[in-house]
Order: sequence, then C-alpha cells, then structure tokens
Amino acid sequence: MGESVMSIEASPYGIPSKKLGMWLFIIADASTFGAMLFAYGYLRVANPGWSRPFVFWPTIANGIVMTVVLLTSSLTMVGAVLAAQAGRKAASLRWMSVTMLLGVVFAALHLREWLAMIGEGWRLFQNPLGGPVQFGATFFGITGLHLLHVVSGVVAIGVIGLGFRRGRFDAAHVETTALYWHFVDLVWMFVFPLVYLMNVR
Amino acid sequence: MPGMRVYVIVWIGLLVIVAAEVAATYAHFTVGAQLAVLLALAVLEAGIALLYFMHLKYERPSLFWSLIPALVVVLVLMDHFWPDAVRLLHQRLPAP
Repeated sequence: MGESVMSIEASPYGIPSKKLGMWLFIIADASTFGAMLFAYGYLRVANPGWSRPFVFWPTIANGIVMTVVLLTSSLTMVGAVLAAQAGRKAASLRWMSVTMLLGVVFAALHLREWLAMIGEGWRLFQNPLGGPVQFGATFFGITGLHLLHVVSGVVAIGVIGLGFRRGRFDAAHVETTALYWHFVDLVWMFVFPLVYLMNVR
Repeated sequence: MPGMRVYVIVWIGLLVIVAAEVAATYAHFTVGAQLAVLLALAVLEAGIALLYFMHLKYERPSLFWSLIPALVVVLVLMDHFWPDAVRLLHQRLPAP
C-alpha cells in the first residue's frame, strides 16, 4: 500500500531526485566557496599593505588560458549531455573524454603556477614580499579547494562515462554529473577576478 | 533544450565577458571601482552559465525560486558582517 502511494507521487520540481540532490549539494558548496571568498576579502581589508604580486606574464596570461580551458570544458560537457539524451552513446563518450582532458590541462596549468610560486618562496604562511602572510593562506586555500573540485570532477566524469558505456548509467546520470562540472566552472568565474585580477601589481 | 549552436554562442559570450574583466583590470580604476566592475561581470557570467549550461532556464520556475534566493540570502548575511573588517583596522594595538 505504502509502496504504491510512493510510486505515484510526482517529483516536486519535475526532475529526478539525483538531479535535485546535486542542486542541493551545489547550493551548499556555493555557500562554502562564498564563505572562503568573504574571509579572503575580510583578511585583505583588515591587512593594510596587502601584497599584489601578480603581473600579466606569466600569472594573468596563465589564468586567462586556464579560464578559457575551463569554459571550453563546460561546452564539451554540454555536448556530452546532448549526445547522451539523443542516444548517441559513442559521441557522448567522446565529448566526456575531451572534457576530462581539458580538466587535466587546467589542473596541470594550475600546478605549474603553484610550483613557480612555491619556487619564489610563497607558502601557506610565508610571504616572500614581506607583506601579510595571509596572502598565501587565502590564495592556496581557495585555489586548492577549487583544484580539488576539478580533480574530483575529472574522476566523477570518468566513472560515470565508464558506467554509461557499460549501460549501468543513463543520460540522466551524465546530465547530473555535468551540473557538477558546470558548477566547478562557475566557481572559477569568481575566483579568477577576485583572487587573481584583484591582485595585479 | 536548445541545440549546440546556442551553447556555442553562450560560450563565445562568456569569453567576451572574461576579456572585459581583464580589460577592466588594466583600466586604472580605483580598487573599489575595480572590485565593483569585476563582481558585476562575474555575476553576469555566472547567471548566464546557470541559465544555459546548467539548464535552469529550462527547468520549472519553482526550482529556481527554491534554490537561488536561499543562496543569495546566505551570501547577503555573510556580507552583512563585512564592515567588521574595517572596524578591525581601528582595534589594532599601537606597536610597542
């Protein structure tokens, strides 16, 4: 009796529960990133003489390339969703592979930038320019959390792609994973201007 | 759901916004004006991504109204405590 009542209950938003679950996660995660960016702004205003170490070459140029790579990966992920919904499994898998590749390129560019900064003496609590040490803590903290999301996204797309190929997952799973990937892109839309462009020398 | 052509146009639009952000960075604004311009462009960019890439434009309005205002309220509440950062400046102890 209970089971039959459950089965006829309509979804309140007309979407699968996994998609609603992903949306709720995204809202919670957006609050986390919002809190980190507000904390960064708070520390920056409270510390006169905040370091603005970035110059166009290589940091901002690298950031622009990373932004273009991530935006392009969102477009390729849309391609994966459209192909999956149209029943073109092979095309969807190809789009997902390109998305993963772009995610790896983004992570590699990010790590290269990190290593260059560490080589200059930047640490979580060390500022080679002699300014507030909180710069390193906020920079590595915010970009590190975002990088963790990118790497997780690449792994998630890989797992869903494999399951989709084997018939274990369907187009709705691909769409739900795409939602997460677009969110990672969306967070970067705030990290790049606030953490990079606002710190141009 | 629109076809790939619409998404390519959206992607180009997002790239144009990124170019505008970089241009605004080197336009010699004051720090406050630079922050305002960059934030406005970032919100515009995120809005376009939400509506098109994340398909919020094609979902029921109830989904939008259940999710987005809640996030905005949370962020505004965080912003409410922002002036504390300025207050902190006046609470510094003089150097010995």
